[in-house]
Amino acid sequence: MKDNRYMKLTEFAKELLNKRSLEEGLPLIAKYVKDVIDAQRCSIFIYDDENNELWTTISDGIDKIVIPADKGIVGYTLKVKKPVVTNDPYSHEAFLSKIDHETGFITTSIITAPIFDSNRNIIGILELLNKEGGFDDEDVKFMIFFAHYISGFLELLKSYLKQEDMHEKV
Amino acid sequence: MKKYEHIAEFGKKLIAFNEVESVLELIADEAKYLVDADRCSIFIVESEDKILWTKHSDGIGRIVLGLETGVVGATYDTKSPQIVNDPYKDERFLANIDKKSGYMTKNMITIPIFNSKREVMSIMQLLNKKGADFDKADLDLLTFFANYVSGSLELVLLSEER
Repeated sequence: MKDNRYMKLTEFAKELLNKRSLEEGLPLIAKYVKDVIDAQRCSIFIYDDENNELWTTISDGIDKIVIPADKGIVGYTLKVKKPVVTNDPYSHEAFLSKIDHETGFITTSIITAPIFDSNRNIIGILELLNKEGGFDDEDVKFMIFFAHYISGFLELLKSYLKQEDMHEKV
Repeated sequence: MKKYEHIAEFGKKLIAFNEVESVLELIADEAKYLVDADRCSIFIVESEDKILWTKHSDGIGRIVLGLETGVVGATYDTKSPQIVNDPYKDERFLANIDKKSGYMTKNMITIPIFNSKREVMSIMQLLNKKGADFDKADLDLLTFFANYVSGSLELVLLSEER
């Protein structure tokens, strides 16, 4: 077990708990997990079950990217409900190489983990891209632990959001 | 809504503690507040020794139970919450503990707390809701709450192992 990954968690959580919305919280989570696993990129997709979509914030926390819930490795994670690791994404059936072509980014490795709420429904997917040497078993273990660790905080933020949305509609 | 606000504030306190006893005590106090119960014990599962223990049980000191005993054991076994609003008519209920402590259990709710591997690592037990029986709303709120605290509890139990 790489201890410092776990020991830094409470410092991170302190910061996270001061956030009042998913939009504010997600970039913080992404940065933390990217740094401790030493990956190049991280996205956290939130599952919108009404529209069967996954959305994520881009770095400024304001604009959103929305993708259909059945697409790519993230959509595949939603389907199989467990972490997915590939250190050879171009040979993975679910990988969308189209996005690499469009953005010019080259994905060399991917790790994902589903985030469950207290009723065991998936509320989001953590995704990290490109670790030098590829993702290993320790990374998978940490991702499972971390996804669970933040799930309560995310569920709380998500329920706030729902409440706020309801207020706006009234 | 007020209760969720309260949980958010509680969360900030929770992560400031890094030893099991204080974490358990804080969680128990918040759980009691949330559903207006008189007592709360949080049992930790020791699967190798096949026991459950609780360091915090308000009045009556430490309790160690076999993994399969009582309503708490049934919660471990079934991995599901239990509501027992008439404990003396429930054959799983351990009336002995009441006898020893002089405490009278009138109703009870138990909630499993899962670790990230989806094993039951702990069971939250609340006794004697004031002026009412435990209901579905209590169960839903405590299910959320159990998941909310589970990450911090797992972290503190892991760091105690080392």
